[in-house]
Amino acid sequence: MMNDKFVVVGRLERPEQTVTKNVPWYKEHPVVAEMMLVILFSGCFLGIPFLPKDPTFMDILKYGIAPGKEFFFGTDTMGRDIFSMIWYGGRVSLSIGILATLISTAIAIVVGAVSGLAGEKADTLIMRLTEILLAIPNLLMVIFLQAILGTPNPITISVVIGVTSWMSIAKVVRTEVRQLRNSEYILAARMMGGNFFYVLWHHLTPNFISSIMFMVVMQVRSAIVAESTLSFMGIGLPLEIISWGSMLSLSEKALLSGNWWIIVFPGVFLVGTLLCITEVGNYIRKRVSAGDSML
Amino acid sequence: MRKIIGRILVFFVSVLLLSFLVFAISRLAPGDPLLSYYGDRVEKMTPAERAWAEKKLGLDEPILTQYGNWMQNAAKGNFGISYKYKQDVIEVVLERLPYTLVLGGIGFVLTFGLALLIGMVCALHEERWIDRIICKVGTVTSCIPEFWISLMLILIFSVELQVLPSSGAHSLTEDSFIDRVWHLVLPMTVVVLGHLWYYAYMIRNKILEEIRADYVLLAKAKGLSRRQILYRHCLRNLLPSYFSLMAISIPHILGGTYIVETVFSFPGIGKLAYESARFKDYNLLMVLCILSGITVILGNMIAQAINERIDPRIRAEEVFHDER
Repeated sequence: MMNDKFVVVGRLERPEQTVTKNVPWYKEHPVVAEMMLVILFSGCFLGIPFLPKDPTFMDILKYGIAPGKEFFFGTDTMGRDIFSMIWYGGRVSLSIGILATLISTAIAIVVGAVSGLAGEKADTLIMRLTEILLAIPNLLMVIFLQAILGTPNPITISVVIGVTSWMSIAKVVRTEVRQLRNSEYILAARMMGGNFFYVLWHHLTPNFISSIMFMVVMQVRSAIVAESTLSFMGIGLPLEIISWGSMLSLSEKALLSGNWWIIVFPGVFLVGTLLCITEVGNYIRKRVSAGDSML
Repeated sequence: MRKIIGRILVFFVSVLLLSFLVFAISRLAPGDPLLSYYGDRVEKMTPAERAWAEKKLGLDEPILTQYGNWMQNAAKGNFGISYKYKQDVIEVVLERLPYTLVLGGIGFVLTFGLALLIGMVCALHEERWIDRIICKVGTVTSCIPEFWISLMLILIFSVELQVLPSSGAHSLTEDSFIDRVWHLVLPMTVVVLGHLWYYAYMIRNKILEEIRADYVLLAKAKGLSRRQILYRHCLRNLLPSYFSLMAISIPHILGGTYIVETVFSFPGIGKLAYESARFKDYNLLMVLCILSGITVILGNMIAQAINERIDPRIRAEEVFHDER
């Protein structure tokens, strides 16, 4: 009887069962924001040939026309079509945002990794210097760099913004690297003759990239804000180079004449873009770490 | 005691380094400082006149000597004259400082008061409609660049409705208290709106973290109401991080007044700094940079000190961190 109950029959073959989450791919994704960013990017980078008017053409006779059938968003104080300018200028603004972020992230990773891998004293020194750099008013640095680099164009503006905004990411990279540097695999890679950049690129970066990803996305946002603010204040792009910021630098004249559309439309596009980027950034942060550091 | 001396040393070395960096940067940048002193007359000057003018302002010597001279005078409390205003730098700064302190100071208090309030409301109603609405609206406001929100406010309240003034700290014709407050409304709104959500969201998340601690469960089991637990226990535990957040953000909020002051032509430090950097008013620029640098460094130090004094856990964490 007992044998009937406990017969050894070998391994019972069961179909492999995996837990499948019944969640559609778009759940939790900020779909609206992503769609809008795709539309915006394709419009700005591919849509230029299809614009209704030439954005650079100054029609002196038709300045300050209110939004209507011919000019969807009206014309600015120099007679340019605002609708066309927004798409045309968006290309510049978005490129500056991305390029500046690439520059600042690259600097931040290198400085952070050097500081993280260096000895106690060098580390303290680098971090103190970073803090002092943070204490210099951004405005001064920007004006100084602009003066060195000559007349502003999108590339110099990206460099200026990139060079002045790497410090906070560098701090995070340093903290991460300090935690990673004693791992065996780093030691092994060093012993096999991997140089600094090899170890940085193949072993360190993949490990800390997720913790700076949110900051990097937010850096795109602040770079776009920086460009528009600088151009608005008259120390960024000149009027001839169309970007959202340089379009808004006409706003003082617009305020005097009450041409609200010159201020409102580029601004709405600017704020909308920033909002979409923020949504994507928040999504990345939530996915990477629930309730991690706030910085 | 040794620690305090160490801190003070670090502070002075930092300020010294900062002053040298700013000095070098501003002198190396191309541009003509004589322009801000003599205005348009510079273009008509002969080379001999130029040389004389440069010698008079001490601009003909090598940078290191110039820096040495500046340090010597600064140690005696003499920071030179502003090239543009032809006045003692300290006087120029002191004249403008109250405006920025009022704008930044009241803005600071308002921002943090409101941030705590909003953070508490959100945390009390976590994931309910009121929290969600506030979070959405907050995210939107945090995305609006300060200069654009200023423009919109001017457009709505000064141009369309014509109820609030758009520039200056007081009217040309009258200068009463009410008039000044009236001129402060729009700039203040921008200063507060520009930073509010950033801090409110941080405080909200801190509270949410706090109410998941074990002692909250105990307090609840003891029979305290939600509000009592929040006010008596959670907020008290939050205070150190709240204060250190405040200390770190002093320069942040003061820096935020730069753009606001420029847009609203508000005669404060920010506008002065912008002008002095653009027109190479060296002596003025140095003092302003050092002032703002000192606030940044002091703010960070105060934050660190608060953390260590009130909450020993942070020090322990740091030690742990270093050992890893």
